[in-house]
Amino acid sequence: MNPPLLMSLALGCGWLFSPEAMVMAGNSTGYLGWLAIPLLALAALIFSFNVNTINKALQSDTQSSELTLLKKSIGTIPAGALTIASSFPLLILAATALLVTSGYTFNEVFLYWFPNFGFAFLLLGLLTLLQFLPLKQVYKTQLFFVGLAGLGIFFLGVYGSLNPAKSMGTIFQIPQHISEGGLSSALLLLLFAGSNLFQGKKSGFPHVALIALLVLLPWMFASLAHVNPERLASSTIPFMTASRKIMGDTGRQIMGIVVIMGSCAAFTGFTLLCRQKLAELSQEKMAPRFLAKEGQRWLLPPLTAIAVGACMATGLAGDERLELLLRSALLLWLLYYCTVSFAAIASIKAEKSLPSITPFFAPLILSTGLVTILLSSSHPLELLKFIVFLLVASSFLAMLLVFINPKKKDAL
Amino acid sequence: MKRILLLLSIFFFVGTSQLMAADAPTMSKDELKGHLGSDKVVILDVRSGRDWSSSEFMIQGAIRAAGSDIATWSKNYTKDQTLVLYCA
Repeated sequence: MNPPLLMSLALGCGWLFSPEAMVMAGNSTGYLGWLAIPLLALAALIFSFNVNTINKALQSDTQSSELTLLKKSIGTIPAGALTIASSFPLLILAATALLVTSGYTFNEVFLYWFPNFGFAFLLLGLLTLLQFLPLKQVYKTQLFFVGLAGLGIFFLGVYGSLNPAKSMGTIFQIPQHISEGGLSSALLLLLFAGSNLFQGKKSGFPHVALIALLVLLPWMFASLAHVNPERLASSTIPFMTASRKIMGDTGRQIMGIVVIMGSCAAFTGFTLLCRQKLAELSQEKMAPRFLAKEGQRWLLPPLTAIAVGACMATGLAGDERLELLLRSALLLWLLYYCTVSFAAIASIKAEKSLPSITPFFAPLILSTGLVTILLSSSHPLELLKFIVFLLVASSFLAMLLVFINPKKKDAL
Repeated sequence: MKRILLLLSIFFFVGTSQLMAADAPTMSKDELKGHLGSDKVVILDVRSGRDWSSSEFMIQGAIRAAGSDIATWSKNYTKDQTLVLYCA
């Protein structure tokens, strides 16, 4: 494998192996039973269709990015607003949630005497310092995080699948609460949103999707083979429940490493994603020029550390609203990818007539998933309010960035 | 670079010292162990959000209670009972 492929895998898999994604995978497995396995494969297929459509549109112009596609399709300010709203709040909120989860895991699995918040702050400091290193070093470290997390999940998944605690008939039973599985199926789509960012402009089945299937499918099967679906569906940490059942205390310790490494990988991946978004905004003359390259390294990580640290210190982690805010940020992320996908189709269509309606399927399914998650939520109105708030705030910020820019004519 | 590191260090210490500044009377782990199972001691788990959902454990015999809803659940206990609350 050449370095760009490893790099794209390391960055694309950061979110997939995070505890947040593992909760979604675990709860979905609980609600859907074995049906979650083909549905994950379907989600990967939809994701790969989406990636191919976007890449096809990007291939026509070497300078183009997702932002240029959006600009052509919906205009400068909405494109900038959607880019800002879908990436930066997600970085802050996901980082807060992941670091706190890592703190608890470290405290409960490895060192009882070490304060969980102390560990969360320590990890925040170390991951922030990592961003000041040259990019090559950051990628190498990210590869280490992802590699260790992926290996841990894969090992537990294969071990658990080869030593099932239940008969095949029981594993393949349809769970009683399958009727509540609509939301779970849609949540599986969230596992892949955004993972294509570092895929490059190549067509074909994305390697990220292959790795995800290779690692997560055995894990989902192993979870079903050891834990009752009802328990998986209702648990807030289904990955810990399953790993304990699979390998006892050793399983917990392996999962503990996975949780911490997965959190580091997701944090680093999201930070790099936001750095790339800053560079795109700058290249499109929608942000100061110094943010295109080195400037982002000195600005974004410290600001992120301050924002995440403030969220943790003010008690957001202990607030029920964090889940709601994080879900809103994830939905905005999905909205961004639906819009980019439709923009890509419009761009291809403008150059040559499309032979079929096939490319529309992937973004249509993603949009349906988005609406399903929104409507199935226990607080849909609250979710919608926060999404609208983020979009409005980001629109003002995008307008401000464009109008204070001396080269605003180029931006518009 | 030095300024950024200095700012980050200050921020780190301000954040952690705030968390350690507890003013309520506390009970050590060993003290609590001695009271486990006693009718006079009620252990209340007032963790919420991630503090609750990320944790695998709960103290033996603890009852979940919302920290914000103290007016409601405090009526369930008498003055001679010791209420032990834990939030992290």
